[in-house]
Amino acid sequence: MNARALIAAALILAASPLRAQDLDYRLSIVDEGTLNRLNMDTPLNYRNGTVPQPDRGNIATSNLSLGVGGFSVLLNLSTSTDNLHSPDYSYSLRECSFNYSISDAWDITIGKKILKWGTGYAFNPTGVVEPQRSPSDPSDRLGENEGLDLASLDFFAGKSSITLVYVNESGIASRKWYRGKQQVALRAYTFISGLDLSFIGHYAEADRLELGTNWSYVVGDNLELHGEFLGKQGSSNLYDQIIETDDARQIYSSYPYAALYDHSSRIFYKVLVGGQYTFDDGINIAVEYYRNMEGLSPAQWKRWMNYVKFQSNIQRGLIPMSPELVDASRYNLLWALYSLSPRGSMRDYIFGREYWGTNPWGVELIQFVNADDFSVVIVPTVSYRISEYLSAYARLSVFAGSSESEFGSLFYDGILNVGVQVQM
Amino acid sequence: MNRTSASAFVFALSMVLSTAAHAQTIPEKLTADKILELSDLSRNGWSDYAVRTTIENYEDGKLEEVGRFDVTIKGADRTLVKFLNADVKGQYLLMVDDDMWIYMPDTRKPIRITPLQRLMGDASNGDVARTRYAQDYSAKLLREEVLDGTPCYVLDLRAKRDGATYNHIEYWIAKGTDRPRRAEIYLISGKHYKSISFDKYEETGGRTLLTQMTITDRLRSGRTTIMKYDSYGPKELPDKYFNKDYLEKLR
Repeated sequence: MNARALIAAALILAASPLRAQDLDYRLSIVDEGTLNRLNMDTPLNYRNGTVPQPDRGNIATSNLSLGVGGFSVLLNLSTSTDNLHSPDYSYSLRECSFNYSISDAWDITIGKKILKWGTGYAFNPTGVVEPQRSPSDPSDRLGENEGLDLASLDFFAGKSSITLVYVNESGIASRKWYRGKQQVALRAYTFISGLDLSFIGHYAEADRLELGTNWSYVVGDNLELHGEFLGKQGSSNLYDQIIETDDARQIYSSYPYAALYDHSSRIFYKVLVGGQYTFDDGINIAVEYYRNMEGLSPAQWKRWMNYVKFQSNIQRGLIPMSPELVDASRYNLLWALYSLSPRGSMRDYIFGREYWGTNPWGVELIQFVNADDFSVVIVPTVSYRISEYLSAYARLSVFAGSSESEFGSLFYDGILNVGVQVQM
Repeated sequence: MNRTSASAFVFALSMVLSTAAHAQTIPEKLTADKILELSDLSRNGWSDYAVRTTIENYEDGKLEEVGRFDVTIKGADRTLVKFLNADVKGQYLLMVDDDMWIYMPDTRKPIRITPLQRLMGDASNGDVARTRYAQDYSAKLLREEVLDGTPCYVLDLRAKRDGATYNHIEYWIAKGTDRPRRAEIYLISGKHYKSISFDKYEETGGRTLLTQMTITDRLRSGRTTIMKYDSYGPKELPDKYFNKDYLEKLR
């Protein structure tokens, strides 16, 4: 799929009546070295035995954005290596789209495109057709987010707009066409009395209709406030069945995930409230609170963690079992890891970001706190701008919390990234 | 000369003197607000236009940073700023009335920002984007004085809308040419915040327009910003370019 899209993009660009002044380009090359301090005691990956993680590695990644006329292409080329794997090369067409202005009011876009609709900084519950992101890396520093194959129709009128999007995730894999999920989303936006206000509707095949809203408002010279809400009746999310069982001593013989709340009449909502304040000297502080009712409650998390500990103890030989059950238990442990999400697996989170920059230095501190178990990811970053084209950074991620908490039980205690970035 | 003739002479002389004195001050219909409006023409050649803006930041006389921007202004209240430096390429700032959004290509979405979030250095967003002072300030004539050999009106400008970049400006405008010459900017507290000197005007597109100004920070000594303008020209973009949701379609 990627190869075809890449060739198509190259042909489109080659066939375009290119003039130097029409071509817009942006190139970013990042080389980043990583040192990981592994969490050897976590039951998720005891002694690094379940899913072995490297303790050091390097990634070099380049993102080239080209645009001519209405065509836009964003291409990623990466090579990575670490102490467990030989060098790996990859490429992806993150975006390849064509935008046509039908008139001053109407636009149509077709192709693979990243669309972001939310007003939140770290969390975007109303970003119904946007790539999933990690709150500890909201700016996607390595350019890993990819667009969706879509067609969108936009209507603009003054300070308002309406966007209708159709997403089709069908594609070709191993030379065979497969039918993917289809989605439709509608956003109506207006700006009224200083308030940015959007209403959003989203329907994905085999899922429920989602309705939501997002807004932002500026108070005075320093303060910006924003919020998002998205709700639906029931949820087609897949959950490990163990979250409904108090007895953790279970070994499932087949994939234990099911849409447990598919027929529920409960309203599953995601809500975000946040704001940012800029001090007179330029220091910027952003804070967000996020609640996701599709996440695990503290009780469900505890059941899941007890189950993980049970499987881990079997793997460590602390609970005698027949070899067949030990094997099955290993699969249970691996399947259990699907419950983890980089955006958080539980319900309540607080995000904080403080930034201070004075050329050539920039200092950023991110806190991603699980408000249910008070585990935390703290990410300080120092960047240095060597020139307009070259910068360097050091970024430390520290995971803290009790051994059974979400962030305290992850695979790492800490990650150090040191990188240089060339931009042109 | 008899007494009557003498009186008539004194009367006539006083009339001439009084007329001459009046000619030295503002003509009756040239109000402070009108002077301000005329001075805006030296910074805005057309209703809808584009200008390449270069910002140079100096610290103790040493050039620290250079920023280049393409600024497109539509009417009195809409401005689109395209960032041209390699490290911020693809970034846009949109100002509509008093409200601002920034679009960063890495995050892929327009973010609402507050007026204090700056483009770079000592240049505020408003220094780049809000150049029609008559829209933002009400003017009062303080006095007339000669500045570096040029007779000037000195206006007292007070913000008349929330989105104005500054609260209080003392503004020197050259008589005859109506070109801004100097601005002293004060915070609400009365503290002297910035000094701006309007250094160069050049003939461009059949009009004489500002091509360089210098901003001196009065709170932090040694910090100076030079703003240079070139490639002025009329440019009319469709309304949708100034809609927040259109930013993601721009390159």
